[in-house]
Amino acid sequence: MTKLRYLGKALRMAAAPLLAATLLAACDSSSSPSAPAAGSTVKPGSADQLALGRYLTKAADCAACHTTATGAPFAGGVELASPFGKFYGSNITPDKQHGIGKWNADQFYKALHDGVTPDRHLYPAMPYTSYRSMTRADSDAIYAYLMQQKPVAVASKEADLKFPYNMRFGMMFWNVPFLKNSLSDASVGQSPAWLRGQYLSNALGHCAECHSPRGVFGQLDLSKPLAGAALGRVAAPNITPAGLAAVGWTATDLQTFFATGIAPQGSAYGEMFPVVHLSTQYLSKDDLNAVTTYLLGDKPLPPEPVKAISADAVELDAGKRLYTAVCAGCHGFQGDGKPHVAVAMKGNSTVRNADPHNLIVAMLDGIEAQKFPGTESLQDMPGFAGQLNDKELAQLSNFLRVTWGGQAADVTPERIKSMRLTTAH
Amino acid sequence: MSMTIHPITMHINGKPVGPVPVPEGIMMIDFLHEYLDLTGSRLGCGQGVCRACVVILDKPDGTSEEVRSCITGAHFFEGKKVRTVEGHAQLNEKGEVVALSPIQQKFLEHYSFQCGYCTPGFVNAATVLLEKLKRQPVAKDQLDQAITDGLNDHICRCTGYVRYFEAVKEVALATPGLVKDGK
Repeated sequence: MTKLRYLGKALRMAAAPLLAATLLAACDSSSSPSAPAAGSTVKPGSADQLALGRYLTKAADCAACHTTATGAPFAGGVELASPFGKFYGSNITPDKQHGIGKWNADQFYKALHDGVTPDRHLYPAMPYTSYRSMTRADSDAIYAYLMQQKPVAVASKEADLKFPYNMRFGMMFWNVPFLKNSLSDASVGQSPAWLRGQYLSNALGHCAECHSPRGVFGQLDLSKPLAGAALGRVAAPNITPAGLAAVGWTATDLQTFFATGIAPQGSAYGEMFPVVHLSTQYLSKDDLNAVTTYLLGDKPLPPEPVKAISADAVELDAGKRLYTAVCAGCHGFQGDGKPHVAVAMKGNSTVRNADPHNLIVAMLDGIEAQKFPGTESLQDMPGFAGQLNDKELAQLSNFLRVTWGGQAADVTPERIKSMRLTTAH
Repeated sequence: MSMTIHPITMHINGKPVGPVPVPEGIMMIDFLHEYLDLTGSRLGCGQGVCRACVVILDKPDGTSEEVRSCITGAHFFEGKKVRTVEGHAQLNEKGEVVALSPIQQKFLEHYSFQCGYCTPGFVNAATVLLEKLKRQPVAKDQLDQAITDGLNDHICRCTGYVRYFEAVKEVALATPGLVKDGK
């Protein structure tokens, strides 16, 4: 499941508060073969600082919100829908009139750290709640890198928000209870890799912005870090150590997933695709190891095997026939998948997820063709909303869940129907 | 997976077919080739990408759509109405072709294909598009985009895209009711 089209679709449907924007973390497409030393002292404006800035800009997923599919790099314009209205990624090129050309490094840091620019308060669609933990040196490196980009004279589009959310000054009151100096950890660790991963995941990658549930004011629920959230059409799954182990993730597979977008547990789709496409694939091996160490903890839980589940034989057979008719051609009769064509259903983390939400979304909406790092790609998966009725889709879901997911056959036609209604597009 | 045989029944090119006992997991293109001797649909990539294999599924609501027969099981079409590339030309009582469909004719006139392997898919795609335009005419200035959208997923390795495109456009413009004036 694009590219920016995915992003736009997901964001248009985003049901989360202000921070829906953060779904799209990403960066420019030029490759950084090696990671500059993190936290090292670099001379302002030096080649080392610019290289570090480029790397960190990718790690911080800047481009996804600030670069449209057809626009100039960092010139803004990406639309971010939310229940409060529409936000648009701003122009962060060095253009003096429309971009950040008049800002100095202090002001840039203040924007990342406090959500306040020289002109105004930012909405937390810009994830300063996570960027707040970024070091001053890293902020300066990103600033230096952005200031080296080509200035683009494109005006930033004003947010189109409902009353009273259109009153920006209100953010100063929101910030008092909700802007924290640090985020909660879902895992336990003390190793250097864990600490580096904590910084990469929280301050730069802002994983929590999508993967943590939110309160009624759109604030991160810091009591349930990374426990999953229904932010957009595709829900961000539980990525706590227990949540990852429950669907079979190992450290090795997670690193492969972040580096390539594909692992035995499935491929990146929905809002996670641009994260891999624009950001995590560029992280160094050490940093990927650090992120994985942070997510799983210094003492990872062993991945859980798929449970044996019993189910109504007639219903299961009906689901199997549907699978054979419309899925097996690509995913294989035994659910093994086909390399470079379709992912395996056997051991697939979406199939194994206790919540069938994303499985149903994939079947209803399909997933667009995707090009992954290197030469890997997957063909498009058609949506079956128009081919299969509610009962059939429920039978198919349950066949998948029971056979390869270790989950109960509890998807009802009513559940499918309700998700069709929310997906009319 | 043990082989399970299920009978299958459908309408193909306006004629009832079956019940034919076939293996449960057989793909539609294999069913067409091996059981019905309808070999016009081409097996290209075998993974749903090139679309040389598409057939037309006629829905009860009067709409039609392409379905990739190489990745879709034959049993998906149980009880449904299907058209293959063999179903477009007019035949006489002896089964001889007496007239091509407008799009087939125009593809010939434009020398749209070279090796011809992708042509069955393009014929079906163009037919679905023209039928859609009949139901939902587009403004003249939107026709190019409609054709692009309709044919875009089909791959022609001889790069005959322009000639396919131009042939479809000619048929669309020459057929009353497919293109409307104004917006």
